[in-house]
Amino acid sequence: MNLELFIPEMSLAAFAIAVILLDFFVQRKGVLAVISLLGLVVSAGFTIAMWGGSPQAIFNDMLAVDSFALFFKLLFLGIAALVILASVDYAHKLAHFQGEYYALVLLSTLGMMLMAATTELISIYVALELTSISLYVLVGFLKDPKSTEASLKYLLLGAIASAVLLYGMALVFGFSGKTQLGQIHGAIAATSSTDIMANPGLILGIVLLIAGFGFKVAAVPFHMWVPDVYEGAPTPITAYLSVGSKAAGFAIILRVFSSAFGLPEWLSLNWGLIFAVLAAIGMTVGNVAALPQTNIKRMLGYSSIAQAGYLMVGLATVGIAPAAAVLGRSGVLFFLAGYAVANLGAFIAIIAISNKLDSDLIQDFSGMIKRAPVLALALSLSLISLIGMPPAAGFMAKFYIFSGAVQYGLLWLVIIAVLNSVISAYYYLRVVKVMWFGEPASETKVPSSGALRLALFLACLAVLLLGIIPGYIMNLAEAAARMFIF
Amino acid sequence: MLADYGYIGLFLVAALLFAVSMLLIPIALKFIKIVPQKPSPTKNSIFECGMETIGKTWVQFNFRYYFYALVFIILDVLVVFLYPWAVNLRELGYSGLIVALILIAIVVVGYLYAWRKKALEWK
Repeated sequence: MNLELFIPEMSLAAFAIAVILLDFFVQRKGVLAVISLLGLVVSAGFTIAMWGGSPQAIFNDMLAVDSFALFFKLLFLGIAALVILASVDYAHKLAHFQGEYYALVLLSTLGMMLMAATTELISIYVALELTSISLYVLVGFLKDPKSTEASLKYLLLGAIASAVLLYGMALVFGFSGKTQLGQIHGAIAATSSTDIMANPGLILGIVLLIAGFGFKVAAVPFHMWVPDVYEGAPTPITAYLSVGSKAAGFAIILRVFSSAFGLPEWLSLNWGLIFAVLAAIGMTVGNVAALPQTNIKRMLGYSSIAQAGYLMVGLATVGIAPAAAVLGRSGVLFFLAGYAVANLGAFIAIIAISNKLDSDLIQDFSGMIKRAPVLALALSLSLISLIGMPPAAGFMAKFYIFSGAVQYGLLWLVIIAVLNSVISAYYYLRVVKVMWFGEPASETKVPSSGALRLALFLACLAVLLLGIIPGYIMNLAEAAARMFIF
Repeated sequence: MLADYGYIGLFLVAALLFAVSMLLIPIALKFIKIVPQKPSPTKNSIFECGMETIGKTWVQFNFRYYFYALVFIILDVLVVFLYPWAVNLRELGYSGLIVALILIAIVVVGYLYAWRKKALEWK
């Protein structure tokens, strides 16, 4: 057994435990944030050192160490680092529980890293629960009525989604007799298509898996928890949920559906069509529901539902055109990276502004360009990226996903997606308009800490880099999409 | 294929009929006076359902019971995981021992946490 391939995860777990222990003795809680960041950097270092090696499986093929997993591990570590940097400003609201806060962020990152790497149904479930349970607690951290309500709703709906997912897994296991994705694929390949159709267990299992994973990525119609949870949760955790949890969900969908159900072609055609329909509904519902929102966190919640719809266009490409699987997968990977930095940038700016205003209402952001020019500029850039306008990352991300879909006969879906992008421009640009042309409510400047400004700078830099010179990350994403161990 | 599910439906109907008829038989027997009706305090008392409650059952009790229950569950889970290791102690050798020690260390951190956060104090 090659335990050294498991070092990124083990070191992160060790740092999470160290944060819990240090919390007993350390009076200045800022130290904990530094230790957490150190843990993320150490883990990222180990991960980068593994990049480029040949793909391997450890623990009896339960965990894959391939470029796909490593790409996502780096993405999650980066997301968590930005979230922790942004939390420093927010931490005064959680005075007594900072140790737990940082430890839980690290543990849920660990869960996400495992989600990207697992190739076996049971460990997928365990990794998913490690992520989710940490997040249930983090969502309720403010302990005010709204936060508690959000946490309770997330817990109850998440538990139901987990049950649905487990039922789907049980059906797939019942059909194939295996829990390892590669072996499930073997069992399906050994069965004739008429036998599969005569026995609806597998199809029902796949549908239930889509429902269970759809909850995690906030796809319509499993999105009902999103607005309330995003509004009630502490803002750094909202940011973390909207990018980390979603990216982990897509990582696991890509791996499960590509490795276990990627072939035969008629099967992938069917689930590809399901994702295409979910994408069309998701984009439309998310964007239309975002239009009347007055609370910016709620608005970004609906926007993240719509973004999940765009991402599903990529999944549909993977399913409908197996020949374009690598193209579709790399598009999803690149989109996730671009979406992550843009959404994090937006939320980090909102953390600083809301801290001063003590309000998340869009109308209170009026004239923010005069009170906090840097924050307003960064927020505008992030929102422009979310619309998908050049020179930001969102443009290249949408370009890659949509061009892949057009080439493989999904023109109708891309037309819907482009129409939706136009709708989405209205509510994103409304925030920009309020900030740039509105009258400031007062002249006082909005302060922000150095850590938060660093996080914001990194996020905006990444947005611009991905938008202007996307080639490098695109190559990484392509290498990751190609290197599937099973 | 659908016919297979038909059997399940048949079983469902039979199960429901059985349950309902079992409930109806005593009533029917009472109706035709086969069952004698001689109630007494002993016969009317709760049969094998624990002690009779004193006062209202909807009482509030200290939430610290939950802390203890949670801490106990951690111990429970630990034992569940240690048991298979203990059974195969010799085969697993030193690597198994190290893994078990890591597991115990993680749980000990949990207990340290509960202790330092005063979850074990009854106040």
